[in-house]
Amino acid sequence: MWTDRELLTALQRGEDAAWDEAFRRLYPSAFAAARHPLASLTPAEAEDIAIEALTLLLPKVKTVAAFDELRLLVITIASRKAISERRRQLADKRGGGDLTSLDAMQDDETIRFEPAEQLISHFSDTDLRDLSRLLDQALSGLEPRNADLLRDFLVHHLAYKELAEKYRMPIGSIGVSLARSLDKIRSHLQTMPKLSKELAAYLR
Amino acid sequence: MDTENFTTLALRVIAGEASAEERRALEAELAATPVQREEFEQLKLTHEIMRTTLPLVEAASAVTPELPAYRVNELRTAVRQHFGAATKREKKASFGVLALLRWIFAGSGFAVAGTAIVLLCYANRSVEVGLYGTGLDRSGEQPLSAQDLPSAHLVTFDQDAPFDEWQSRPLAWNEHAKIWVDNEHDLLHIVRRVRQGQIVMETQPLAPTDEAQREQIKQAVEALKN
Repeated sequence: MWTDRELLTALQRGEDAAWDEAFRRLYPSAFAAARHPLASLTPAEAEDIAIEALTLLLPKVKTVAAFDELRLLVITIASRKAISERRRQLADKRGGGDLTSLDAMQDDETIRFEPAEQLISHFSDTDLRDLSRLLDQALSGLEPRNADLLRDFLVHHLAYKELAEKYRMPIGSIGVSLARSLDKIRSHLQTMPKLSKELAAYLR
Repeated sequence: MDTENFTTLALRVIAGEASAEERRALEAELAATPVQREEFEQLKLTHEIMRTTLPLVEAASAVTPELPAYRVNELRTAVRQHFGAATKREKKASFGVLALLRWIFAGSGFAVAGTAIVLLCYANRSVEVGLYGTGLDRSGEQPLSAQDLPSAHLVTFDQDAPFDEWQSRPLAWNEHAKIWVDNEHDLLHIVRRVRQGQIVMETQPLAPTDEAQREQIKQAVEALKN
């Protein structure tokens, strides 16, 4: 069993067994990032993106100081590629005159991709680590049930009706719970003004 | 409208859950009380931040799914190509410029350069087809033979280890591509050199019958030669 430090050293030397182990450890994160809800890729498409993201770690391995940085790198690479892929697919549909799909698109979906794509492109692993810590704290400040509700709403894109069924809540209470949770999260984000400002600059 | 009702309505609009009537109600509220506009923008921003970043944070702790076994060779090939290429670059860099100039002007360089030009005319178009002993491409009434694939070099294997090693080995300088059948997953793998020496791996679903598979391999070789 490799420690993270041993594994990174072996990866930097190009040892096949170490890379097998690293790919095995990192694939779930790469795949989860490739299934970013904004991208809405199929599992097969997400698998291709995840594999591509893993191969893109090869030229970066000598630049990292800890194995965990590779995980953060593969997450940002995979999510960015997934969102770009989705944007390309929608542009192809538009170019191909697929009006039915366009009609089905809510608002200007392609435009809404761009801020997220830019934000993720500019994320450093330090930003992602800080953000991860911040969101962990913010979510742990919520009732576990409300945190799960928020995750299902934001990460799994469940509609109010589906949330009401899953959590056995009146549909009218869903919005109230989500709004309160988002308010608490907002207060946490304000405790890191520099990061919040950077996030806002891309997403506003 | 009190704060809680406003926030709930605003979130319904942001989440795309609002009816046309609710959207109109929000617009009217924002128009009547401009201070709510900033509140609405803040809520929208928090929603956007969370919607974009929470999936990334969640991905960091993902433990499933497992890496699919049929993608492992592709990753191993990428590793060998990357580190193999790096070694070659280091060796090249260690060859001094002065030594190179001396070598060229001493005459040896011109002779070797001529030979290299001749070799380059013939190199980089070779295609290897790896065949396994029990594979469909070697069994049946009409196994694939050199006559079927005159423009390819057939390499046969009777054991797993050498076959695996052949699959994982980076392309040699004079190889254009290699092809093999993955009967376990019904796939045809093609590793080929593209522009600027970059090497890519492609995978096709394997044709359903023995005959169709042989035809698929022949067509793949022809496509690579062209």
